[in-house]
Amino acid sequence: VRGTPARLLGLLAALVLAVVVAACGGSDDDAASTTDRPAPATGPPIRIGTKNFTEQTILGELYRQALESEGFDVELKTDIGSTEIVHRALKRGALDMYPEYVGVLLSEVADVRSRPRRPAASYELAKRYEKRGGFTLLAQTPFSDSNALAVKPAFARRHRLRTIADLRRLKGTVKIGALAEFRTRFEGLDGLREVYGLTRLMSLTSENRYAALDTGKVDVASVFTTEPQLAGDDYVVLADPRRLFSSGHLAPIVSDRTLATHGPRLQAAIDAVSKKLTTRAMREMNAAVDLRERPPADVAREFLQANSLL
Amino acid sequence: VHLVLHRSIRTQITTKVVALSAASAILLGAALVTLIVAVTGQRDAARVAFRSQQALSLANQLEKSLLSIESGLNRYVTTRESRYLGTVTRELADYPAATRRLVRLVSDDAGQQRRMEALSDAIRDYDDFWVKSLIEIVSEDGFEVARSQVETNGGRARLDRVRAQFESLFNRERAVIRARERAAERGSARAIGLGIGGLALVIAIALGFTLYLRRSVLRPVRTVAEATGRLAAGDLSTRVPTEREDELGELARGFNSMADSLERGREQLEVSNAELTRSNAELEQFASVTSHDLQAPLTTISMYAELLERRRGDPGPDDIDLVDGIRGATQQARALIRDLLEYSRAGRGHLDVEEVPAGHVVDQALEALAGAIEESGAQVTVGDLPVVRADSANLCRVFQNLIGNAVKFTGEDTPHVSIDAERDDGHWRFSVRDNGIGMKPDHARRIFEPFQRLHGEEDYPGTGIGLAICERIIDQLGGRIWVSSCPGEGSVFSFTLPAASPAGAESPRVRASA
Repeated sequence: VRGTPARLLGLLAALVLAVVVAACGGSDDDAASTTDRPAPATGPPIRIGTKNFTEQTILGELYRQALESEGFDVELKTDIGSTEIVHRALKRGALDMYPEYVGVLLSEVADVRSRPRRPAASYELAKRYEKRGGFTLLAQTPFSDSNALAVKPAFARRHRLRTIADLRRLKGTVKIGALAEFRTRFEGLDGLREVYGLTRLMSLTSENRYAALDTGKVDVASVFTTEPQLAGDDYVVLADPRRLFSSGHLAPIVSDRTLATHGPRLQAAIDAVSKKLTTRAMREMNAAVDLRERPPADVAREFLQANSLL
Repeated sequence: VHLVLHRSIRTQITTKVVALSAASAILLGAALVTLIVAVTGQRDAARVAFRSQQALSLANQLEKSLLSIESGLNRYVTTRESRYLGTVTRELADYPAATRRLVRLVSDDAGQQRRMEALSDAIRDYDDFWVKSLIEIVSEDGFEVARSQVETNGGRARLDRVRAQFESLFNRERAVIRARERAAERGSARAIGLGIGGLALVIAIALGFTLYLRRSVLRPVRTVAEATGRLAAGDLSTRVPTEREDELGELARGFNSMADSLERGREQLEVSNAELTRSNAELEQFASVTSHDLQAPLTTISMYAELLERRRGDPGPDDIDLVDGIRGATQQARALIRDLLEYSRAGRGHLDVEEVPAGHVVDQALEALAGAIEESGAQVTVGDLPVVRADSANLCRVFQNLIGNAVKFTGEDTPHVSIDAERDDGHWRFSVRDNGIGMKPDHARRIFEPFQRLHGEEDYPGTGIGLAICERIIDQLGGRIWVSSCPGEGSVFSFTLPAASPAGAESPRVRASA
């Protein structure tokens, strides 16, 4: 009998403790405790922008992955818009770098309407132009992605079309399927009117220009020469004897400030990628994304690995 | 060792009571803490929910503001009306502050902070890449170029990214709200359960404690109480069981030893009482027999003195003096014996108690004393006297004694005697007041003892037995007698008698006698 009160008290104390513990253990924290972002590198990241089509997205991935493997901190902004938009963002300082086509740069940004005959001269001209604005045009790529006009082979045969000038023979309005900016560009309706005297043209904005051509919604499509659809015989590219469409070599534009901050290693890393980009390689990668619907990042990584750039 | 053992025995019930009270208090405290935790949890959940609602509403506003920037921009480019640009500019000026507020609101969730950063980036990109560029294009290249840019849907695409971020933020915030609400509900349900459980436990402890008290404390206490009742009723042989080792065992043992000592005391009392009664009876018998037996020789002495006087034809004066001396002494001895006999009878025998008008009794006494009163020239005043329960012959003797004393022990003034009565609870208090010689307060008690006299026989005659007889009579009638007096200021003799009213009136105590 003597030990009972002490045992009872002990039991009750344990019980009370259990109650209190159970009551206090009620709030389970569901906030994520880990962050998947590594510690920030010193200095702000290099902001790379790309324009709003597949090839540019692939290019953005190529440069990003190559630079990151070299230890640079990169922020990639894809799908920003057309040259008019992206170049302004670069000039405003919202971007540090973006890959641009030399011809487009001259015609749409530098407003140079009479382009030199040689690509190298065009490149020098563009480079000088950018230098004045505080930007450096890095080495241009082996591939050229120019603007061009394409038609269906049957249509070409029926109207005996070989060059852009032959379009004048068509009766009525010629419908061109193109991206929206084509309507107001020199390498677009403006140039076609000015250089080839084509006045009865109508630009129909179309996201899928090849499909529009296939279904007959448009007569002519504005195309880019690295697009994989042009690899076979499904479409005929019209010749450009008056060289309205300038050479489509691509060169990354980088702000001088960024180059100064990161030193020559940055330029070397970018140039190493650009040097490997042949027309064949570019068309292959475009095909993988556009036709086989593979993710641009994977395609870019495989290319870099194949070329020992990762 | 005995002290330690004693203390450990003493603390058994106390320990249980303290332990159970402490346990109950702790349990109640725990239940309270649990409820507080639950309420706090609910309040926190409500606060978080409110914050989340604020965040959601602010995010909605921000999204609307971005949509109105986009549509304003499109209208501006399409219609070329600058008022649309004004709208866009206003909204552009406002959104950074709204974004900062939103960042602060979601700052308590790491995941949401990340999403908010992504959202801020997306908004900034939309502004930097699209809105600013488009406005520049309008001013540098004209509306036509800007319109072709709008048609690329670049702005819409960029805004869609922003809206996707918004959607992600909203979904997560709603999930956070739901999760917190669920957690709070679970917490409060658990707390209520624990609180009820705790209270039930406390009630169970209280019930158990009550049962324990009934069985182990109250029952033994009741046993002792009942035993005490029996003891009080006179059953001194009552004992209680003492097998317990705690405080109650101690109580029981204490009770038993008290009963033992009471029983022993009563036995002794009975023995000495019987002895006392016996010796008292013997004494009274002796007094009665003695006084009666002394009467005969005294009568013989007084007869012989008379014969002696008669036989001498002409006795000389000396002879007559001698004979008178014998006769006087004999008379005095007879008076003494008579008084002694009266005193020994006064406490005994049958009382004829009835309702007696005290006024009549006093009148009889005054009649008997008429000679003495007249001789002393005293003035006697009798107040309104009540009806009392008494034996009228004995009461008359008391009044006769007291009034007789009052007219006997007179000073130089004309004697005044007044007789009154006052009601005092269930009694009447009678007083006989005089203006005589009085006495010292020290003597107030002595004068009620038999044959006690304050004065010499030659000053005031009498045997000194009267007041002793009065006390015996009043005592037998159930009253009390006393005197208050000072020398030269007179005396007040007072006595009490039970009132004649039937309710509450006790019948006079009859002294037990052999």
